[in-house]
Amino acid sequence: MIRWTALLLTGAAGRVALGSFTPVPPKMPDDTPRPDPDEDLVTRAQEGDTRAFDALILKYGEKLYGLIYNMTSNKEDTHDLLQDVFARAYHSLPKFKGKSTFYTWIYQIAVNMTLNFLKKRKRRTGLSLNEMDSSVHQDPALVDTGRDADPERQANVHELQKRLNEAMQSLSESHRTVVTLFDVQGLPHAEIAKILKVSVGTVRSRLHYAHQHLQTYLQDFWEQRF
Amino acid sequence: MKISDQEIGNLLALKRHEGPPESYMEDFLREFHQRRREEAVRGSRVSVLWQRFTDWLSEPGLAKWAYGAGVAYAAVLAIVISMPRGQEVESIVPEAVDHRVVAPVENVAPTQLDELDLRPSSEGKIGEQEF
Repeated sequence: MIRWTALLLTGAAGRVALGSFTPVPPKMPDDTPRPDPDEDLVTRAQEGDTRAFDALILKYGEKLYGLIYNMTSNKEDTHDLLQDVFARAYHSLPKFKGKSTFYTWIYQIAVNMTLNFLKKRKRRTGLSLNEMDSSVHQDPALVDTGRDADPERQANVHELQKRLNEAMQSLSESHRTVVTLFDVQGLPHAEIAKILKVSVGTVRSRLHYAHQHLQTYLQDFWEQRF
Repeated sequence: MKISDQEIGNLLALKRHEGPPESYMEDFLREFHQRRREEAVRGSRVSVLWQRFTDWLSEPGLAKWAYGAGVAYAAVLAIVISMPRGQEVESIVPEAVDHRVVAPVENVAPTQLDELDLRPSSEGKIGEQEF
């Protein structure tokens, strides 16, 4: 444990230490309804202002990339899906009435399209864990960019990354979605419930089960390293 | 040592910083516009309708499936109703054939002309002829 904690602390100041890391709540919409911060951009985009829609793409593109990537574990699929998600949003924008925030709406589109894609992919050919790539830019807390990077550390970090991806892919789609939205994307339960159109209780239940599954999956690796 | 729920959460939270390479979004945006232009050139009404249909299908909700099921049921019903009725279908089972056996009749030639009955075949009032 000390070795790993030290390993993660050896980077630049401010990097996240695994043992002492407390997740910072992301700035996401809370449970109380409030005006859509994207209302102006959405209205302009609905009126045909392509720059406004570009601004929405730039605002949510990276978050949605992370969401889709963590669900598919494939860079090319993520890129194509993200293009399709924004294309669908672009075509459906006239129908957007503002009953939810644009943020929730675009997440709903992304989650639905990704789940549909995963079902098709599973039917076509089951994705082998070996086919997963991890070519996205990795966590700065994990990647040592210093000149004195320790090769052993890099190898361990890479192994941890791989194991995490494998653990994620071992979850069912519905559980992976909840874990991605909550643990990786940092959305609150209520927001996830809105996106998935399920109850908050269902979200909590799925999270509990998924964490148990991940604990079991990662236990051997954890014991070897700590 | 057992990995705790908190540690699982912490490990997963580290993935928050994963993201696309730098300048990815600029290239993405360029490709997005390129695709829209190509789509506009192609842009037939059929493709727009298809897009809307797939959009509609991808939206969650039970109502659309109820509509879809209703339309499918109506289509099947229309096919059943429009099928021609009253046409007798020939039976493929052959009718039973009555093979009658006719016994051979002995060919007895009359020996005397007197023995022949030369009277008119019909006697009585009707058909009686006088010479």
